[in-house]
Amino acid sequence: MTTATNLQKVPFAKRYLTFTGFVLFALVLVLALSAVMRPSILVDTLVTGGMWALMAGGLALVFGVMNVPNFAHGEFFMIGSLVAFTVFSPIQDTVLSDPANTGVLKMFGPFPGMILAALVGFVCGVLLEVVLFRPLRKRSRDQWVMNTFLLTAGVSVVLVNGDRLVFGNDYRGISRYWDVHPIVILGQPVSVDRAMVFVIAMAVIAVFALFLQKTRIGRAMRAVSQDETGAQMAGIALNRIFVLTMGLSCGLAALAGGALLFMYPNFPDVGVQPLYLAWYVVILAGLGNVQGAIIGAFIVALLQTLAVTFVGLGWVDVLPTAFIIVILLFKPSGLFGSEVKGVWEQ
Amino acid sequence: MVTDTATPVAINNQVHARMGRYSRVGSIALLVLAVVLPFIPPFNGQDYQRWLVVAAYTAALAVAFDFTAGYINIVNFGFAAFVGVGAYTSGLLAVDLHVSPWIGMVAGGLVSGFVGLLTGMLTLRLRGIYAAVMTWFVGLAVMGLARNLTEITRGSMGLNVPSLLESSDNLPYYYVILGLLVLTIVVLTFVIRSDLGLAFRAIGMNLQSARASGINPTRFLVINFTLSCLFAGILGAFYAHYYGILTPEIMATSHTVEVLAIAYIGGRGSLWGPAVIAFPMTIAVELMRTNLSGLPGLHLVIYGLLLIVVMIFWPGGVAGVIRGATGRLQSRWLAKASAEAGLAESVETA
Repeated sequence: MTTATNLQKVPFAKRYLTFTGFVLFALVLVLALSAVMRPSILVDTLVTGGMWALMAGGLALVFGVMNVPNFAHGEFFMIGSLVAFTVFSPIQDTVLSDPANTGVLKMFGPFPGMILAALVGFVCGVLLEVVLFRPLRKRSRDQWVMNTFLLTAGVSVVLVNGDRLVFGNDYRGISRYWDVHPIVILGQPVSVDRAMVFVIAMAVIAVFALFLQKTRIGRAMRAVSQDETGAQMAGIALNRIFVLTMGLSCGLAALAGGALLFMYPNFPDVGVQPLYLAWYVVILAGLGNVQGAIIGAFIVALLQTLAVTFVGLGWVDVLPTAFIIVILLFKPSGLFGSEVKGVWEQ
Repeated sequence: MVTDTATPVAINNQVHARMGRYSRVGSIALLVLAVVLPFIPPFNGQDYQRWLVVAAYTAALAVAFDFTAGYINIVNFGFAAFVGVGAYTSGLLAVDLHVSPWIGMVAGGLVSGFVGLLTGMLTLRLRGIYAAVMTWFVGLAVMGLARNLTEITRGSMGLNVPSLLESSDNLPYYYVILGLLVLTIVVLTFVIRSDLGLAFRAIGMNLQSARASGINPTRFLVINFTLSCLFAGILGAFYAHYYGILTPEIMATSHTVEVLAIAYIGGRGSLWGPAVIAFPMTIAVELMRTNLSGLPGLHLVIYGLLLIVVMIFWPGGVAGVIRGATGRLQSRWLAKASAEAGLAESVETA
């Protein structure tokens, strides 16, 4: 176990010259080189990475705390974008009909949709835990990981096709949130939407990290993630933690969906790509590791950007997959995973 | 009357033999039903016969899927991609080299099996959820290749594949796919009942103790995975030559989830359960799709809900429920036979 090793006694070489260290160093080098060649790569990596961090952070949290590999995570992205669209399009119409007198609305109009998206996502997550996971947990915890994976696969099918059934098979999107000139970063024009998305993602991740590190409930969550029985013995009400975890995770996914509405118009299948990207990140970083997932999100974003810039748009999924497979060949538990076998490997 | 034959073991064997006879009669009856079904109204219409082809195809896929999911406990989330590999192999052979679709089907199976072998060697060292997710990623990567190598696969424009049979009638296709279904079930059941199958089940139940009794898990996992992919490839090739147009959509994850839903609703680890349930479910779904075309996606919502309900309340699926019923029947027979033989205690069911 890592806790048993006194870090000060581990020599420098052993501490940092690990496989993970080499890979990270190589990636930073690649990022630096490509940023010198084309600054747009750095900007794109940061902007997309921020949103994948929101998605993957939630996925990793739910896996760490509840041991649920959520296959329906992308569907909360879809719900988020649906809510944001529903709220934002009347606001946009108001702004467009009377551009002179709606300056405040023009500036702050996108926020209600995003906030409501996160709230709706939270409620959906809570419902998912109460209606589905709790009965299953009561009935049996045999093969919990695999069973919940399949259960969430069912949830995903229901939500995607439920959306199709109720709202139809159309694209519902907006062209932009903030109708202003792009700002210039590193000589690259970046639309305000994308810059805002990055700011929102970073702010939310910072709050989220503080919440996990500093508050009582956050500590309780981490305790449950480390040892469920131990946490229960220490008097932590597991059910409450589970409800909150699921809500938070789904809320983050829905927020990502809402904030990225201008890039990903709402569509029944819109959650598929964010879902597998979040899974790429989580597998790459090591299941259940939230901090690792946030770093991993930027790695996957870098790989995607490189694939788009140098190979072609169609290869955006192939390159990260190949990279992950190679990494897992050398380090099966993921870049930041511990070598200790977890419960989910049964 | 106590005779020499009325030992507990003998009674147990008799009851087991009786159960075996019933299940043999049952499976033959189902097979006969499947053979004559396209002649019974309303199944003799072209629409119904087309649905029957799809049903038998789905059934065979679900059986091949269950072979890994139900026995070695590895959920192959990239299953549709292996189906697609077989389909594209056979399709491209037929289009570019004018190879007969029948040979193409065999080739499709072999290539898909080979890809399965590589994937298995790569991913099955990882266990449980890692393996499931990694097979999914491999599937996504293969689908990406099929989309992007447009000069070979024509990508999403679709590849026009010559058809398997001369006639465009659905009935001959139905008998071909029914034959493939029976072949899949027979071969896989044979494997499961062999020593190989014993190792699979041991690994599926408890990996650690299987390893402790001298089984090299990775080797058997890879064998199982390769076999499953081989059948997926053959079936995919059939579908390509039946449907006529091949797009990368055949590899979409949603197709894996459909097969997975059928396999789990039918009952994991039974092989026959998924095959039997695939028929009513596919027909019901197709009926819904035709009659309620104003409600797109309804059939998939029902699939998903059924999967959820089965996962929570009946983890054994339909086969599990039937198994429970026959188990109770068997113990009743045992009790009766023991009482008749004058044994004080009922013989324990094995």
